[in-house]
Order: sequence, then structure tokens, then C-alpha cells
Amino acid sequence: MDCHDVLLVLLDYQQGRLAPEAHRHVRAHLDGCASCAHEDRLEHELTQALERRLPQYAAPLSLKRRLAAQWPVEPSPSEPPRSSLSQRSSLSQRSSLRRTSWLRSWMPAAAAAVIVLALAPLAWQRVLGPAGASPDAMVTEAVNDHVRLLQSERPFEIESGGIHQVIPWFAGRLDFAPTVRFPGDADFPLRGGAVGYFVDRKAATLVYGRRLHTLSVFVFRADGLPWPHSGLEKLGRLEVLRTAARGFNVLLWRDGELGFALVSDVDPRDLSLLASKLAGPA
Amino acid sequence: MGAGDDREGAEAVGHEALAYADGLYNLARYLTKNESDAEDLVQETYGRALKSAAQFTPGTNLKAWLFRILRNAFVSHYRRERHNPITGGLDTVTPRLPVPEDIGRRRDSVEIDRLRKAAAEDIQRALMALSEEARTVILLDLEGLSETETADVIGCAVGTVKSRLSRARAALRQTLRDWEP
Repeated sequence: MDCHDVLLVLLDYQQGRLAPEAHRHVRAHLDGCASCAHEDRLEHELTQALERRLPQYAAPLSLKRRLAAQWPVEPSPSEPPRSSLSQRSSLSQRSSLRRTSWLRSWMPAAAAAVIVLALAPLAWQRVLGPAGASPDAMVTEAVNDHVRLLQSERPFEIESGGIHQVIPWFAGRLDFAPTVRFPGDADFPLRGGAVGYFVDRKAATLVYGRRLHTLSVFVFRADGLPWPHSGLEKLGRLEVLRTAARGFNVLLWRDGELGFALVSDVDPRDLSLLASKLAGPA
Repeated sequence: MGAGDDREGAEAVGHEALAYADGLYNLARYLTKNESDAEDLVQETYGRALKSAAQFTPGTNLKAWLFRILRNAFVSHYRRERHNPITGGLDTVTPRLPVPEDIGRRRDSVEIDRLRKAAAEDIQRALMALSEEARTVILLDLEGLSETETADVIGCAVGTVKSRLSRARAALRQTLRDWEP
């Protein structure tokens, strides 16, 4: 493998997409070629810059609610006609007409899927419902976040170099301090972390391992959420809601001003053990 | 297609599709460059997805399917730039050949330093300076889509994705290297 070949597959190499033999060939070339090794470092730095510092935009809660609330609404027959998108010359000129024109463009889709509209909005409302929201909505949110993390090929924004690298990484990225003292151990190694969202607020996501299983811990501000007041289980100094959804075991608890959601497909006893470790000594 | 098909399709898509709203919105923000248009684009995406829910095969890649719908919706309504020289239809890669070691080290140490010091707004500005196609491949790669999935989203060959991604990253690096802090 020469420099030309290596540079062609450098990203594949960095992202672990090469077959083991090809990976070894690239590794061997990089070990012996300073110039390609520099290129490898530069590409790595660019990836780090993009993954860790490029701003990420979460969908506004208002958008999620609007998807649920507006889909079934048919325009009133008395509503005046709107201009079409093609009649406008620039995005800046469209602001007053934009939403209604887009609404019109997807309205036929919504009408064709009227059955869908009976289902999906309910799902949104279960997750996001402002008033009348229940602890079930928090469980659904936690499981969705966990599934999303499992499906991501790059779940971490900060690979674990230990709790003293992961927790400080959150500084400036959250509007609260995610107080987590458990650094991981041989049974539950800390794999990494990321910034996510829990319902309507930012959350610190910490990922621990248990053999081949993944355990997601979401830490977020606890205020304003529909915390349960009954059916709680004592776990050390914590009072936790223990439940299961879509095949995952879930623990939810408050600890001071912070809320915690722990989700995994591991045995409920393992989940309790990690929760106890996260809570620290009584 | 009957209502029963719609219901089954929706049930298959419904819950999981919601989990991708943030990722879809993020791409929409970087494509449309403003909040309102991004929200409209995501709404359009879910509208189209729901219309086609019965055609979606459960167990296949819902995430890539949704991103493809968003991309198509964007192209339908928003796409303006088609001849940006960064992509310009050039789908082959000219690898960056090594330069003499001492020159390379000096150059790379400056570039690495710039990359490490680049602030969020610098990286964002550099990304926004790319063409829409280049931005898309960078963002889909960050979103964790494979080259095959990205090829499916933007409707081109896998080799084209590879070349566009390589060129887009090279352009980003050059912009950030030339940036005066």
C-alpha cells in the first residue's frame, strides 16, 4: 500500500470501516510514513473539531408540538388564497407566507394519512405534552433517547478518558453542573458522554458498559417535570421509579435539583447496582 | 392503498421516526440557514414520510429514509446553488500527495494548531461557506450515516460520496487553516 492508496482510505481507516487486513496495512504504512501520519493527525483533528465544537441544533419543542397539533387541521374554506413558493424570489421575502404555503404543500400528505394522524400525534403528546404530562412521558423520552444513542454509530462527543475528563468536558455546554461522582469500574466502565436533550431541556448523557450491554444515564434539571409521587421504590438514599418500556428497564429519580434517568436492557438488579453507585454513599 | 395499510405503515414508522426529529432539524438548519425555514422543512419531511409510511419496510433504515425525504424536500423548494466550485460535479478524488517531510511538518503543525484553536463559530462559518452538497455530506457523516446510506440519501454512487466528503473536508481544512484568528 503506497501513500496514494492510504490517503484514499484514510477516513475509512479512522472510522473503523476497513477490513482487518486493510486496517493493518494502513496502520503499518502510517507507522513508517511521517507525511501520511501527519495527514492522519490532521484529519483526526478536523473530526474532533466537527464532532465536539460544531454547534448542534435540536428541534424546538414548539415544532414538535406543532407537528402533533396542526396536522389534522384543514384550512378553512373561507381562508384567502396564498401565493405559491415559486412566485417568491428569496427566502427573506417569504417570511409572512412561508408557514401557510408549507402547510399547504404537506396538507395532502396529512389528509392521505389520516389514520396516521390519530397515532403519531398521540406519541408526540405522550412525550412532550405540557399540561397533563405524566411520568410515562418521561419514561418514553428516556427510552427514545437510549434507542437513539444505541442506533448512533458515534454516540459519544467525549470518549471516556475517565470521569475527570468526561465531567469537565460538559462545562460550558450545559446550564447546570451534572453532578456524577461514579468514575466507572471494572463492572461498569464509563465509555463516554455527550450533550443531549431530555424533553425540553439539555441533558448530560453518560454511557456505561456492563459486559456487552450499554447503560445510558441522562442527567438534567429536575424542575418542572411530572415526577411521580407514588409507586416509588427505596434504593439506598434514593426513591426511584422502576419500570420497563419497549423491552428496556428504566429507573427515574430525583437527587436534589437534578433528575436522573437510567435505561438499559440489562437485568434490573444491574440497573439498581449502577444507580446506587451513581448516587454515591448514603 | 387502504386505511389499514396506512395504519400499519404508520405504526411501523411512528414512534421511531420521532426520535430523529433533532437530527433532521439540525441538517435542516444548516441547509436552509435559518430557524423558520428549517422548521418548515422538517414539517414537510414528516408530512411526506407519513404519506409514504405504508411503503416503508419495517426493519430497513428509517433514519436514512427520513433524511432522504428531507433532502428531496429541500431540493424541491430551496436549492439555489448548483455550481459551487467546491463540488462542481467533480466526483473523483485527487489524493493529497505527501510533501517533503520538513515542509510538511511545519505546515501541519500550523494547521493542527489552527484546528485545535478554531472556535465553534469559526467551524460553523467554514461549514456554511461550503456548497449545499458539500455541507450535506459532512453533516450526514457527522450524523453517523455510512457512505452507502449517504449515497442513498443524496442519490448518487458510493464513490461519489467518498469523493465529495474528501473534497469537502479538504475545503474545510483549508478554510480553517487560512483563518486569521
